Amino acid sequence: MLVPGKIQHIICTGNLCIKEVQDYLKTLCPDLHITRGEYDEETRYPETKTLTIGQFKLGLCHGHQVIPWGDLDSLAMLQRQLDVDILVTGHTHQFTAYKHEGGVVINPGSATGAYSSITYDVNPSFVLMDIDGLRVVVYVYELIDGEVKVDKIDFKKTTTATHSAH
Amino acid sequence: MSREIVEEESPSLTRVVSPENRSLGALRSVRWRVSLSILPPSPSVDDLRRETADSRRRYAGLRRRLLVDPHVPKDGGSNSPDLVMDNPLSQNPDSTWGRFFRNAELEKMVDKDLSRLYPEHGSYFQALGCQGMLRRILLLWCLRHPECGYRQGMHEVLAPLLYVLHVDVERLSEVRKIHKDHFIDKFDGLSFEENDVAYNFDFKKFLDSMEDEVGSQGNSKKVRSLDELDPEIQTIKLLTDAYGVEGELGVVLSEKFMEHDAYCMFEALMSGARGSVAMADFFAPFPAAESYSGLPPVIEASTALYHLLSIVDSSLHSHLVELGVEPQYFALRWLRVLFGREFSLNDLLVVWDEILTADNSKLDKVSGNEEISGFKILDSHRGALIVAMAVSMILYVRSSLLATENATTCLQRLLNFPENINLKKLIAKAKSLQVLALDSKISSSLSTFDVAYSRSKSAVSGRNLSSGPISPNTPLSVVADSYWEEKWRVLHKAEEPRQVDSLDKLAPSGKRRWSEKVRLVLSRTESDPSAARAGKYKKGHRSSVRRSLLEDLSQQLGLEEDTEAGDCFDVSNIEDRHSVEGQVEGQDDTSIASICTAEERCDSGSGASVSEESSSIFSDPASSGSITNDHENDTEKSSVASNLSSDGNDDRHQSDLEDSPLPVSSPPEDALLSYSEENESSGKMVSASKESRHLSGRFQWLLKFGWNNVSQEASDKGVSNETAKSANRDSKNNAADSSTAAGASRPTSQRDVVDQNVMGSLKNLGQSMLEHIQVIESVFQQDRVQVGSLDNLSKNNIVGKGQVTAMTALKELRKISNLLSET
Repeated sequence: MLVPGKIQHIICTGNLCIKEVQDYLKTLCPDLHITRGEYDEETRYPETKTLTIGQFKLGLCHGHQVIPWGDLDSLAMLQRQLDVDILVTGHTHQFTAYKHEGGVVINPGSATGAYSSITYDVNPSFVLMDIDGLRVVVYVYELIDGEVKVDKIDFKKTTTATHSAH
Repeated sequence: MSREIVEEESPSLTRVVSPENRSLGALRSVRWRVSLSILPPSPSVDDLRRETADSRRRYAGLRRRLLVDPHVPKDGGSNSPDLVMDNPLSQNPDSTWGRFFRNAELEKMVDKDLSRLYPEHGSYFQALGCQGMLRRILLLWCLRHPECGYRQGMHEVLAPLLYVLHVDVERLSEVRKIHKDHFIDKFDGLSFEENDVAYNFDFKKFLDSMEDEVGSQGNSKKVRSLDELDPEIQTIKLLTDAYGVEGELGVVLSEKFMEHDAYCMFEALMSGARGSVAMADFFAPFPAAESYSGLPPVIEASTALYHLLSIVDSSLHSHLVELGVEPQYFALRWLRVLFGREFSLNDLLVVWDEILTADNSKLDKVSGNEEISGFKILDSHRGALIVAMAVSMILYVRSSLLATENATTCLQRLLNFPENINLKKLIAKAKSLQVLALDSKISSSLSTFDVAYSRSKSAVSGRNLSSGPISPNTPLSVVADSYWEEKWRVLHKAEEPRQVDSLDKLAPSGKRRWSEKVRLVLSRTESDPSAARAGKYKKGHRSSVRRSLLEDLSQQLGLEEDTEAGDCFDVSNIEDRHSVEGQVEGQDDTSIASICTAEERCDSGSGASVSEESSSIFSDPASSGSITNDHENDTEKSSVASNLSSDGNDDRHQSDLEDSPLPVSSPPEDALLSYSEENESSGKMVSASKESRHLSGRFQWLLKFGWNNVSQEASDKGVSNETAKSANRDSKNNAADSSTAAGASRPTSQRDVVDQNVMGSLKNLGQSMLEHIQVIESVFQQDRVQVGSLDNLSKNNIVGKGQVTAMTALKELRKISNLLSET
């Protein structure tokens, strides 16, 4: 399914651990954004990253810095801090996606299904975002019991949404 | 613009029926649509309405179906698609995403072309709305015709169609503006203000809204046109016709439906509407299913083009062929875009007017005596007109083409067609050629293999149109070129031992090879069979003639031939030939053979009767060669006799030339041929058969004396000059003069004893060549004076140019002769 050419950007929350994984991701798409996870051997990844794709501002962070891990309010704080519409974090190895205060917080889960610090029960998953103008459609691909399940979530950006950052 | 409309329509104020007809016809887009059979030719409003509504609905449906946007939730979006299949990463070909990506790729290709469309009219064509429309139309057409796909150039076919619609709509809106007050008519509560959309319409917005409406379009379209229609009927009696026309035109012309209409026109043009010429064929890289030639249609059409050109103007044709300018180099672009890149947009519209009015229905083939049919493109009036148009364009730049000896410059000229052209003249000529093309199609025969080959096939000449009915076809010889080449080589090998055996004192093989080459030159320059011969024609036999000629020459050069024996033989053979030739009418018989000079070919002044004489007479040496190679020559002789009726195209020579493995001789030959082309064109058409006898009589001398000996010609020059003068006095044909002069000089020069040494003979050959060159030059000088006396005034310029090329040819001949004398 992951063939080169179909994906324009890859956003990776971290914990790739070794360079080979980064190289593999590079073959899928040259535009790769990675933030540093706690097990990454590559020390030069940033802690957080922001980028703009289409009309959306995306923020990227591994998430182990945000305590409690996976807590929505804390993540929302980070989102406001970074001033982004879409925040992508990880670390919990569980897929979640929240609409929160006019923005979206997405946790794509673990792409490999590796055990997390918290739990053994991890399904490999990743997220495909289709950004089109003011709308983003989030496709969630999960490997459950040997089969790929796909789910779709629609988000529309309200143009008037502004966060007062303080 | 609107004023014109008003003027056109005001006279018909009182009559209700016809103004619609006339005013509709005045609109180009409507005219074109009628000729493309989209709209019915009848002026009845109902019919029009129905047709246009149908076609528009079809297009809208198509768009809905094929233009996939997975982002848009489907209508009645409850049927949630199966996401496993239908996600963007899905590799399932059925998924909407898959289709979306495929469309996106097509779009990328289309966009590449669109961005470069008509930059000089960029204000219209590069506008977003227009580009969007073009893109969509092309995309949809390609999706509907996946076997064709999108090819570069299709956008150029589409653009003028859209432009024409746009122009008409604009005109319409102008009329509306002018007669604004008439338009404000409340009918059914619909104020026309609403419908009176200003032209600066935001297409993008419109299209978005169109998409939403797409579902409900079907009925509303009809209703809208009805509304426009009824007030028209109501007011047509009261108000000016412009308004009335407008109302009706709403059916036929509407901005909202420009895209739809353009799509219909494009589709009709591409598919040919069940006619013979389908533009889509031109884009196909593979031969059409029922193509007899096995060539892609565009190549076939290009050969048809050259075929017609060879009929009309064989000298130009052979010139082009000689230079190696294959028709498809330029014709590909011409045909694929229907001359879209050659003319400015307004000129192009005029040209397309003509082409589209030509009927596209298939013509019945008249002749049934051939299993191999003619060119497919000539199967309809439209196709014939297209081909004729191309030929007339080539003829338009004739002089510059003939002036150049370089294939590149030729192509440059053809590909950058001059800007300011007399379009009317061009079109008129095209129309006249169209008739010719249709005629020639009847007897055209199409070779089944490579282009050069098919070029060499030709129908009965067009030059002799006046001289009676076109003769029926000649059956093709379906033998490949290579076959003959092989045969030649085989034969050549067979010759060698024979020559060794025979009583000649041939010099070492090196020399012989030279003589072979010389013979090759000879034979090539010789056979210029004319077209008008009614009879069979086989290419293969010509090459057998060539082979036999070659054999002959080698013997002649090497042998101490018994001339007397040869003479008698010759004479008898010539008599035979004459009986055959006597049938031919209106031959220009200036065929005189003198070795290695271009005169041989040139004198067949007319294309038609091009030196059948020469070919026939030349076959005599072939037969005379039978002295030592009896059995072989017998068969060849008979075949030669039967095949003198070769259609007179130098093309064939060209193809022979091309086949020739001997590069050395080819440049001089080219020169020779080009020279002879020129002379042909300058020659006269008619001469009595009596003269043919006369000249062939002289030719007999030639054979008698000329062939065997290459002797000292100290006296030759003086003699030749004398004879040249005397010949000039005799013959009507100036070109003939030169040939006869040269020819006659040979007999006188060769009364001497044969020089046994081949070296010496070659040297002498060179010298004689030189002499003949001088003769020709001198004759040329005289010719130049006499140019004015030629009847064919239009060719005067060409004659002058011909002389230039002839001079260059002569120079080259000189070089060769120097070479020969040095060895």
